[in-house]
Parts: sequence; C-alpha cells; structure tokens
Amino acid sequence: MSILYDEGQQAIATESRRALEARVSKDDLLPLLQTSGRYHDGFWTTAKEQGWTALALPEAYGGLDLGLVELGLIAHQAGRTLSGAPFLTSNFGAAKAIELYGNDTQKARWLPGLASGETIGAIAFAAGADALPDQPAIGLNAGKVEGMAPGVSGGLFADVAILLALDGGTPALLIVDLAGIERKAVDSFDNSRCVADITFAGTPAEPLVTGEAARAAALRILALQAVVTAHEQTGGAEALMEIARDYALTRKAFGQPIGAFQSIKHRIAELYGLVELARANAIHAAACEGQDDFITAAAAARLSATEAYDTAARDCIQIHGGIGVTWEIGLHLHMRRSRTLALEQGSSFFWEDILVDRLAGAGA
Amino acid sequence: MTDLETYRAKAAEWCEAMVPAFGKAAREGLTVEEDLALGRRYQKAKFDAGYAGINWPTDLGGQGLGHIEKITFEGEEMKHGFPNVYFGISLGMPVPVLMQFGSDREFVKERVLKALQGEEIWCQLFSEPSGGTDLAGLRTRAETDGNGWKINGQKVWTSWAQYSDYGVIVVRTDPTVAKHKGLTYFWVDMKAPGVTVRPIKLAGGDSHVNEVFFDDVKISDDHRMSPVGGGFAVALATLMIERYVATDSAGFGPHLDLFVDLAKEVRLNGRPAIEDGRIRQQIARNHAMRAGLDSINRRARLMMQAGMTPGPEGSLNKLVAVRSRQKLSELALDLQGTDAFAFDEHASPKDDWASSWINAPTGRIAGGSDETLLNTIAERILGLPQDHRPDKGIPFNQIPA
Ligand SMILES: Cc1cc2nc3c(=O)[nH]c(=O)nc-3n(C[C@H](O)[C@H](O)[C@H](O)COP(=O)(O)OP(=O)(O)OC[C@H]3O[C@@H](n4cnc5c(N)ncnc54)[C@H](O)[C@@H]3O)c2cc1C
Repeated sequence: MSILYDEGQQAIATESRRALEARVSKDDLLPLLQTSGRYHDGFWTTAKEQGWTALALPEAYGGLDLGLVELGLIAHQAGRTLSGAPFLTSNFGAAKAIELYGNDTQKARWLPGLASGETIGAIAFAAGADALPDQPAIGLNAGKVEGMAPGVSGGLFADVAILLALDGGTPALLIVDLAGIERKAVDSFDNSRCVADITFAGTPAEPLVTGEAARAAALRILALQAVVTAHEQTGGAEALMEIARDYALTRKAFGQPIGAFQSIKHRIAELYGLVELARANAIHAAACEGQDDFITAAAAARLSATEAYDTAARDCIQIHGGIGVTWEIGLHLHMRRSRTLALEQGSSFFWEDILVDRLAGAGA
Repeated sequence: MTDLETYRAKAAEWCEAMVPAFGKAAREGLTVEEDLALGRRYQKAKFDAGYAGINWPTDLGGQGLGHIEKITFEGEEMKHGFPNVYFGISLGMPVPVLMQFGSDREFVKERVLKALQGEEIWCQLFSEPSGGTDLAGLRTRAETDGNGWKINGQKVWTSWAQYSDYGVIVVRTDPTVAKHKGLTYFWVDMKAPGVTVRPIKLAGGDSHVNEVFFDDVKISDDHRMSPVGGGFAVALATLMIERYVATDSAGFGPHLDLFVDLAKEVRLNGRPAIEDGRIRQQIARNHAMRAGLDSINRRARLMMQAGMTPGPEGSLNKLVAVRSRQKLSELALDLQGTDAFAFDEHASPKDDWASSWINAPTGRIAGGSDETLLNTIAERILGLPQDHRPDKGIPFNQIPA
C-alpha cells in the first residue's frame, strides 16, 4: 500500500467530508451530551448510506473490499466534524475480528449485518487502565461467560461483542451475541459514545481464538482500531488548528489580530507540526496493515495522534479566551472527544509500552 | 526494480566502495586541514563518478538529473560520515545562486566546475553583529568607487570563510531608503586585499565559523548579482532552502537505536534503565516523532517521483528534530551519570551523546532559529499576520539604533 493517496482515495475524502459537513453540526451534538443513551443518528445513517460500514470488509459478505487506508480517510473526516457515534471504529474492529479469526458460519452470520451497518459491533477487552489485561475479569466456562466488561464504547447499542476472556488458565478471544443482555449506561463526559458496563451471567459465547494466540489476536484487533482512531484524532486536531487559526485572524486586541502575537501564532504553528506528524504516522500505519511492523506503526500513530488532539484541544480553547470555555461555542465537544478517543483503544501508557518492547527487541 | 531503485543501489554500492578511503576510520585523528584535503579528494571522486551536481545542468558540469536522484544519493551518502561538510554551504546556496544570477557565464561555468570538484569553496556572507534573523538590518556598506564599489563593514558567523575562495555577500548601498530597499547582492573574492577572516571558536570546540572584516575592499561592478537596491530578493532566493534536502529525523544527532542500546546497558536504581517508565516514555515519544518525519519525507519523495510538488510539511524537520535531539541527548547524559563527564571534542555528534548535546544549540540557531521557523510556518503556511515591525517603511538611516 502506498502512502500517497490516489485519485479514488482523494475522492473518498472529499465526498465523505461533503456528506458529513452537510449532516453533522454542533447543534446536533451538544444535546447528545445531556443524556446518556443517545447517539447521532444523522452520522450513523450517513455512514450506512455512504457504504462506510462496508468499506473495509470483504466483498463476499457485502463489503467493498477496500482497506484501512480508505477507512482512515473517512475517520479523519469524522474526526473533523466530531461525528457523534463510536460505531465506525467498533464495527470495523468487531468485523475484522470475525473476518480474521471466525469460521465460515460465524462470518456468514455476522459479517453481512456489520457491513450494512444494521448490526452494531463492540470490542470489550479493557478493564480500567489495562487495555489488554493479562487476567481478564471475564471467565469462560463450558461455553458460557461470566463477569463484567466495564466502559465499553458503543456498548449500549451493540448487537455483538468481541471479548477477551480467561478460559481456565489461558486467554480466549470470544464472540458473544448481545441480544437481550443487560447493560448499564455510563454517564460519561462524552455521552454520545454510548458507553456501557456490560454484565454477563452465563451468556453463551463462541471461541474465535483460544490459547496464547488469543492475546496476539486481540492486540491486532486493538491496533486496527487504534489506526482508525488515530485518523479520527488527527482529523479533530486538524479542525481545531484551523478553528484556532481563523479565530486568531479575526479577534483583535491592542489594535491588532491576536494572531500577530507570537505566543499565539507560534502555538498554532506548533499545532501544525503535531498535526502533520500525526497525519504522516496514521497514513503510514494504515499502509502497513498486514505487515510485520504494523503494531509498531500503529503504536506510533496512536501516540502522535493522541498528543496532537489533546494539545490542539487545550490550545485552541486557550486561544479563544473566555468564549472558548462556553457551552455554546462547543469547543468542549472537541475537548471531550479528544480525551474519549485517547482512552478508547488503550491509553498512551499502553502504547508506549508496546512500542518500547518492540524497539528494544522484547515481546515481539 | 524501478529506475530509482537501480539508481539507489548503484549509489549505495559506490558509497560502500569509498568507505576505506574516506569513511570514519580514514578520518580518525586528522587535523581539520588534513580532513579538508581528504574532503577535496572525496569531492573530486564524487564528481568523477557522476555524483556531484546531480540535479544541476549538464552544460555547467552537473548531471542534469532530478531532485529525487539528488536526495536519493544523499540518503546513501549520509550513512557513512564522509568529509563533505566543507562543501555543504558552498554547493548548497552560493554556487546555485551564482548559477542563477551570475552575469558572466564563462566565469560562472569555470567557478561551478571548480566548486563541484572540490577545488574551490564558497561562503555566504549574510549575518552581521547587528543581527542575523533581521537580515535586512545589515550595516556593511558598499559605496561607488570609480566604475566599481568599495566595501566596508563586518560579517559574522560565516561558515568556512577561512577556507573559502569566494563568497556571496549582501551589503547596503543606500541607507536613505527603507531597509529592504537599499541592499545589493555581490560576489567577492575572499583573497582580495582588505578582507580579513578571523575564526570563532564555538561551544563544542570547533571553529568553522568566522568573523569577516571588509576594509576598503574594491570590487568591480561585474561582481554585482542583483540590480542596485534589489539585493533583498536575491538574498531571499538564497534562503529558500530546499525543504526536502537529505533530511535526518534524528536532527543530525544520534539515531534512536543508540539510545535504546544505552538504556539496555545502563542500570537506574538497580534496574535496567529500559524498564524505567520515564525512559520508556521518552523512547516511545521520540520514536513516534521521528517516524512521523520519516513518513513525511518518504511521502515527499514519492510525490517528487510522481512529478508532484510535496507539501510544506517538509519544513518541520529541522524544527522538530533538533529540539528533540537536544533533550534526548541531555537524557542520555543523565543516564550515564558521572560516567558522562568524559568528553572528546572530536567525537561525532552522530554517535556520541555529549558531542550531540553540546552542539545541539547550534542546530537550533544556524539556518534559521526555532522562532524564525515557527514564524515561517505561521505566516507562509497558515496565513497568520506578520510580526509588528516598527522599522517598516522608515529610511534605514532614521531607524533608532
Ligand atoms: C554554526 C553557525 C553557522 C552559521 N553559518 C552562517 C553562514 O555561513 N552565513 C551566514 O550568513 N550566517 C550564518 N550563521 C548565522 C545564522 O544564520 C544566525 O545566527 C541566525 O540567523 C540567528 O541570528 P543571530 O545569531 O544574529 O540571532 P538574533 O537574530 O540576534 O536572534 C536572537 C534571538 O532572538 C530571536 N528572534 C529574532 N528575531 C525574532 C522574531 N522576529 N521573532 C521571534 N524571535 C526572534 C531569535 O530566534 C533568537 O532566539 C550561522 C550561525 C551558526 C550558529
């Protein structure tokens, strides 16, 4: 895969940007924050109509057979507009887990729905700070799971979840039908992510990967999602950089645009650097899918994207002064989203460790 | 293999073959003069092999190839620590500017050929004690003198002036107009009467930069490379540094794997430093930053190959990489504790942490300070306003000193 976008890919970027800008606005997003348990229909309907859910899945199951690069382009645009639903990432993650590790029956059962977007998937590996626990709190016993998956993004509406569980002493990657499963909505600082605690009590589960290979498989899924998320984060950071730039050009103080003050101007220039590094790493990681160095590339993409989005959120608000901290202007939507995305696929601590282990030649 | 891969393979092979004669080991223990002499031989070898002036016109002795071939070769060359630093400025700015603006084409051709073969070196006389960033604030002046000119004043930070045969210089020819308008661009013979070069020792111990004094230095009008009063535009053309020169995401300091090796060797509070979270974080962050720069550069090369113009993000390399090199070098010294005190002035900043650290500030100033680079990104890329300039439009001789 090249790291240069071709014409078709550029068209995907332009088209998805146009579609999202027409369908998603801050005024739709602000109300979502005030209740848990709602997501942005406009976004998800657009995603389904435009075929984004099908984009990176195999043709045989209703997909479009494109890849992570194309999905990344869309995620980038989704990040720019702050599209309010986690499903683009989690559906893709769940579908990839099934595509890569499922048997024919499992694929036939789940992939067409995930591709059309009618089925919603979730990934539930994490337990608190541990993105990929050594000792998952969910246990598998005679084909049934027990235990709680906390803080699952998109979990409130998911139809199917991929879990990392402990089967006796060894890990297992499982697929669980969530129909009828109780879940508790988590009141979150970014409610549009539809986060839920999901409790399993004797829920039937099917294995995707068993034994030690399960952890490596889970890491691969997490990395795939992390690369999509890195694109989304980069898009958010880029939007904030532009918002900051535009504001700095119009707002005046002491008789000149605030963008003429170096402390403002240099901050925005620094953001440019962070955004471009994040973009470069994200594109590179997407192009590395399936190669040996994919996890390393994904970790780098994840780290620079998190740094870019967090910094952009902080600085953009600062550059706005008082208006920046108002509910109405909505910059806090980006601030909330930047932290949500920083946590969703493993924190920076997690990816730093993964990356350093690889660079130091351990734990490959 | 694509043509470019074939080109790279041949370049790599040639560079390999040069290592015994010109590589690090061959340079060990040489004085600067001996190293320069070796450098001249290396430059000649490059010329003979067709690797000098790769993207310059063939009628001036170049190879007539593209920028992409040039940086491909430089990418290979950079791996070996050859003695080419003496020609970096010369072939980087002054000689290309001479090619573009020199009026006597016979003279130009002769100079270019000699420079390409390492026989002659050019320097760039822009900065002055009164300021480097504020290029148009320079005070060295040229007055008409018969049919020619007479230069008086002082330049500073002139790299390799002590070994240079010629230099390009910007001087003030009219102090009664606004500062940008009164400048004129010339070339000068560095051996001319009245030119005095005095080396300055830098913090790291070496003396490649100089003060250069001009006392009644006479030059004829055919040395002029710009219209009278039109020197600033040519100066800017000189400073339009090629964004994607052989870039190095290590900021011309050590590569990250050396730091990882160090962290594996050294123990911190009784445990291998590589297990320490603070060290791990720095390694991870540095890797992510460097990987991003590498990816930007790779993308730029692909674009050039495809006949497209790369984006402006190439301007990030020096800014981002050198700052991080400076901090990582500090950390590497921390890791060694008192063992880090031992210092070898001649060690290479590419593989010695102390040398990297002590020379890092130079990298943050030379070729545009961090602040200048941020201004350039803010103004040229992001369209933010220019700084407030109280001296704008005021005749130079009425600006309060
Ligand atoms: C090793 C080395 C080699 C060099 N080689 C050459 C050479 O061959 N030829 C040549 O002509 N010059 C050369 N230079 C000079 C170099 O270009 C200048 O040092 C540089 O441009 C900075 O100028 P200055 O040193 O006068 O610092 P100043 O311009 O005095 O700057 C001092 C500080 O003020 C900051 N500053 C200045 N203006 C602004 C602004 N508008 N906004 C924010 N901050 C600002 C600077 O960033 C810096 O931090 C070399 C310098 C070094 C260190």
